[in-house]
Amino acid sequence: MKKKPSEIVASVILHIIMVLLGLITLYPFWHVIMYSISDPVKAMGGGIFLWPKGFSTIGFDILFKTNQVYVAYGNSLFLLTVGTSFNVVFTALLAYPLSVHRFKGRSAITMMVFFTMLFSGGMIPSYLLVDALGLLDSLWALILPGAISAWNMLIMKNYFQSIPPSLEESASLDGATPLVTLIRIIVPVSMPVVATVALMYGVTHWNSYFNAVLYIYDQSKMTLPIYLRMLLSSTAMDQATQSGVSFDSAAITPETMKMATIVASVLPILVIYPFIQKYFVKGVMVGSIKG
Amino acid sequence: MSNLSPVVQKETAELRRSRFWAAIRKDKLLYFMAIPGICYFILFHYVPMAGLYMAFIKYNIYKGFAASPWVGLANFEKLFSMYGFPEALRNTLIISAMKILIGFPLPIIFAIALNEINNKYFKKTVQTVVCLPHFISWIVVQGLLYTLLNTNSGVIVDICRLFGYDGKVINLLASKQHFQGLIVASDIWKTFGYGSILYIATITSIDQELYEAATIDGAGKLKQIWHVTLPGLRSTIVIMLIMRVGNILNAGFDQIYAISNDMVTEVAEILDTFVYKLGITRQDFSRATAAGMFKSVIGLVMVLITNWIVSKIDKDSALI
Repeated sequence: MKKKPSEIVASVILHIIMVLLGLITLYPFWHVIMYSISDPVKAMGGGIFLWPKGFSTIGFDILFKTNQVYVAYGNSLFLLTVGTSFNVVFTALLAYPLSVHRFKGRSAITMMVFFTMLFSGGMIPSYLLVDALGLLDSLWALILPGAISAWNMLIMKNYFQSIPPSLEESASLDGATPLVTLIRIIVPVSMPVVATVALMYGVTHWNSYFNAVLYIYDQSKMTLPIYLRMLLSSTAMDQATQSGVSFDSAAITPETMKMATIVASVLPILVIYPFIQKYFVKGVMVGSIKG
Repeated sequence: MSNLSPVVQKETAELRRSRFWAAIRKDKLLYFMAIPGICYFILFHYVPMAGLYMAFIKYNIYKGFAASPWVGLANFEKLFSMYGFPEALRNTLIISAMKILIGFPLPIIFAIALNEINNKYFKKTVQTVVCLPHFISWIVVQGLLYTLLNTNSGVIVDICRLFGYDGKVINLLASKQHFQGLIVASDIWKTFGYGSILYIATITSIDQELYEAATIDGAGKLKQIWHVTLPGLRSTIVIMLIMRVGNILNAGFDQIYAISNDMVTEVAEILDTFVYKLGITRQDFSRATAAGMFKSVIGLVMVLITNWIVSKIDKDSALI
């Protein structure tokens, strides 16, 4: 079908807009990365960064000598691995029974879970509960209260429901208990949804900071976003000094330290992101079946 | 059943009960699997709901919860007239409304526009790129905003010079007039890409034959979008809209907490930050719980109302 001139023009404009959107999205990251490897003094001049102004890795040198960064990173990694495992296991354990048709009380329990998406007790009762459970100032306060997300659970349940019952039947004919069926058969078949849900939980853990603000006071349990926030509000150089790192303070600026820290916390995501992105798209498609 | 003798009725009832328990026994392993999850929801979601009764007592730290006196709605009365509450409510509604009015349609428009692009690789690349901001934390966004907007070395200075503006550049981050706009803009930047995935997925599931039929009928691109794409998206849009409006009192706590500063509190304080400061910082548990409860109840009512409105228009699209 021959394209009309007006269609071609429209198409070109559309492509240009898309490219602009992409640039607007990416530029802040690019700017920060370029700044962080620029010479601190030259960078202070400011402005748009297309490439580094001078070259210097001093920001990162100091950052990696600062102890607190490793503490924060370690805690965030702990949350990411242990927390996400908890999340996926508990979510699947609940989603599977709810996906079985003959499970009595299925709709009642599903409604009970769904209702929590519409109404909650709020910040204060939750805080007092965590306190009463003795979880205050513990990393478990960042894992247990959010152990199952109703949304993710419903997504998993929907997916399980779409698995042909013959699979499950042949398993139980072979004498498998529901738990074994879940682990050996359902989960391997449901890898797309398991991957998606795991990724969604993982991202939440890596980026969540308000829970840490609320529940954690001990500096040794600080998470990466908290560390970043601390840096952005005070001076990174103070942090380094407190950690006993010695450096030539004329050669470095607070700005460069901030940039280096931002890069350090965002880089893992930037690197892994292109690879995991396709799972998200697939996962949202999977979860878009109305419950 | 009522024409059977009482004896038979009693036996039938017993039979049903024992069948019920037999069914549960048969599936007891499934129940065991479900128990951790159920316990989790009861403990971490329903127990705090019961904690809402704190909104009706005058919490005395020495007497504890059980012995503190009941004051009915007094906490709510004091709350609504309290300094900062009306402002917090106002800011919440303004920011949330702006986010819905501008931020809700954008992912939809973007999805429709992206669908018009034919080159598969271009499409995938754009989609990948615009989804990226979803995966970073608001603290990082605050850092990025600082990078761009600070008046010492921010990009904004250069951009202003580029357009010939030589005067003093205002610090947008500390400006009361611009703060709410900044919040809405940065929220859109962060969420429109990921938010569009759902719509893109829904569009791809629309039957291609409908488009072909429309073309045969002589419909141009815009007409096709209006008559085929949008109807295909309708139930998705409606569900998302219901949930979004139901959430109207959530103006974006993580975001506001990360980005706001002392200079802009007047326009930045939302219900959630208000509750946080009242409850955690000032330890006024009763009134903070009352504020939280206000928010939850209104939110629930909003969802129910919106859902009811939708079900009147088109029964199938409603959420509940």
